[in-house]
Amino acid sequence: MSALVSPISTSKATLSSLPHAVWRADQMGSYQAATTPTGYRTLDAELPNGGWPSAALIELLLPQAGIGEMRLLRPTLGLIAKQRRIALVQPPHLPQVAAWTAWGLPADRLLWVRTARSADALWSAEQILRNGSCGALLFWQQQVRTESLRRLHLAAQGTEILFWMMRPLACAQDASPSPLRLALRPADGGIDIGIVKRRGPQRDTTFTLRVDDMPLASSTYSSTSTHAHMDRRAPAAPATRNLPAELV
Amino acid sequence: MHLPHLPLETFRPNWSDPGKHVVIDREQVVAVSAQAAGCGVRIGMRRGSVQALCPEAILHEHDPVREQEALTGVALALLQYTPEVAFSEEASLLLDITASLRAFGGRRALCRLVRVSVGVLGFTPQIGMAPTAQGAWLLARYRSHRPMLRRVVRMKSMVRQLDTLPCTLLPAVRPYQEWLAGIGCYSLADLRKLPRSGLQRRSDKTVLSALDRAYGHAPELFEWVQAPKTFAAGLELPDRIEHAEAVLFAARRLLLQMTGWLVAQQLAVSRFVLLLQHERGRTAIPPTPIDIALADPAWHEEHLTRLLKERLGRIELNAPVIALRLEAAQVAAMLPPTESLFPDPGGTPADYHRLLELLTARLGDRSVLAPSPRADHRPEVCNAWSPAATVNRPDASEAQHLERPFWMLEKPIALPVREHRPFYGSPLRLIKGPERIECGWWDGGLVVRDYFIAQGAEATCYWVYQERMGEETCWFLQGLFG
Repeated sequence: MSALVSPISTSKATLSSLPHAVWRADQMGSYQAATTPTGYRTLDAELPNGGWPSAALIELLLPQAGIGEMRLLRPTLGLIAKQRRIALVQPPHLPQVAAWTAWGLPADRLLWVRTARSADALWSAEQILRNGSCGALLFWQQQVRTESLRRLHLAAQGTEILFWMMRPLACAQDASPSPLRLALRPADGGIDIGIVKRRGPQRDTTFTLRVDDMPLASSTYSSTSTHAHMDRRAPAAPATRNLPAELV
Repeated sequence: MHLPHLPLETFRPNWSDPGKHVVIDREQVVAVSAQAAGCGVRIGMRRGSVQALCPEAILHEHDPVREQEALTGVALALLQYTPEVAFSEEASLLLDITASLRAFGGRRALCRLVRVSVGVLGFTPQIGMAPTAQGAWLLARYRSHRPMLRRVVRMKSMVRQLDTLPCTLLPAVRPYQEWLAGIGCYSLADLRKLPRSGLQRRSDKTVLSALDRAYGHAPELFEWVQAPKTFAAGLELPDRIEHAEAVLFAARRLLLQMTGWLVAQQLAVSRFVLLLQHERGRTAIPPTPIDIALADPAWHEEHLTRLLKERLGRIELNAPVIALRLEAAQVAAMLPPTESLFPDPGGTPADYHRLLELLTARLGDRSVLAPSPRADHRPEVCNAWSPAATVNRPDASEAQHLERPFWMLEKPIALPVREHRPFYGSPLRLIKGPERIECGWWDGGLVVRDYFIAQGAEATCYWVYQERMGEETCWFLQGLFG
């Protein structure tokens, strides 16, 4: 420990004498398995080996579904969908194929597994990992026990699958075997990313990642002007508000 | 391969609960289970003495027809290792494995496979291996109390090994057992030392020919087992089974037979039916069929077993099962996978089909879905999904470059309006739109909507629409930009 806090001039010599396997707290870690670039340079710089690690459980912690998480994964999924399939297990809402094809990705690469019980969902995720014929697995689960997480992480380790698991933001407090955990929050024109856990130095502050194709207000658009274009009646909101009063 | 416990295991497969079981043929015990033997029951006893020694023993009448059926089942299952399987004397099967050694990774690996397969069928095998069939039969048949070498490869070591065996092991020699013992001839080596002409005069010629065949001096001819044209096999269970999962043990036996049959016929099964026959009570209960269709014809026992296991896990039995029947309903020609020098990272398409079958077997048809988009402007119609096992490659409809959210709600949520703005958690600000969709008047699903992209206070984007039908305009939330 004294080597780490001592002045740089003296520490250089000490550090070079340290064995190769000693990891320093300011050093980015690395994975054994291959990584796939995320498609965003800012995010790549924050991740060990510069990308999403395959053969590992990656946790994305979201406050709710639909904050741009699929857009964040879109460049990576686009790379995978060229050759292999992408499985969605227990997504929170119906996935819309039109959005997928609008991104220029082939529709026949998607597999949607819908389950009634969470035990079935865990089983399906594990089977998909063990089978190894899909290139990516996205798994949504609200409540999951640590044993199940560890089991999934183990199952992922023998494969070449990119495995993301979407969990509620509240789970950031819980321990997890996952080597990479990111907390995502919506931001204007992008996503706020906080790194909960990674192989590398701790990062306390969040950073905003600009996601290009987020729906943004066009510059000429203002919400009042378009109402004039439409031939429709004035909103009848006041009438609905009065309705309960009449009933009473 | 010899089945030493065939009379007993016909009634009690080796996976059934242990108990005191005795098989009786013409008032004489021919086989006993280990538990019954512990009570002092021995082979050759009379029925009365068994009942006196061990009153709780369950007696079975020897049934040669059932034994032959069981042996046929084993032969069928073993057809997957070699096409040349023949019945032999005394509950034995002969397998010519000369051509199979390489394919199954050597003689030890093959022996292990045969042993496991026969074990799954519910029998205990005793396997001998020798350059001649009669020699292998003798090695397999001999019951020694010490572990002995039953596998020989070279002629010389086989002769050495056979010479030590008792000569009465050969069925042809048994009628002359007494006078051979009288002249001090006990082992096969002793028998070979006797002058041939004298031996032929005093016994019949079968003795010499059996001896010659064993030592490789005479050619051997066999009638190989022919696989039937269609496959249907039944099995009576030793006990009543009340849990669907427990059926799997017995069903594996039938699956193994089917695998053997498929390999022998060079076929792959694409649909098979397992019938669970129920006990006939006051009213006859029709058998429960379990119909399993495969996306990709398969002939691997392991995969079929897993499918059946997941399927059985979902089934509730309404009556105990007493018998099973397996039928291959639809078969196709076997297409072995083409091996490639550099395998794809994603595995073969067959792997993917196997995954789909497995998921479908447990979760049901409506839970494993693939997109099959329809050309329609209404998002809920356009976004159609159908079972992944049946869907073919969706027709590449021209990519619409419209902005669509990735997540769509199952049912649109009606949004309240506050201060003339739709409200969902926070007042929504419309940032893009409108996109007008008016269609569906032809099939009764008329929609008249203006779609907007709206943003909440915490910067989340929503896909909302305004219903323009009727007097009032209502806001609905239909999608989330994932």
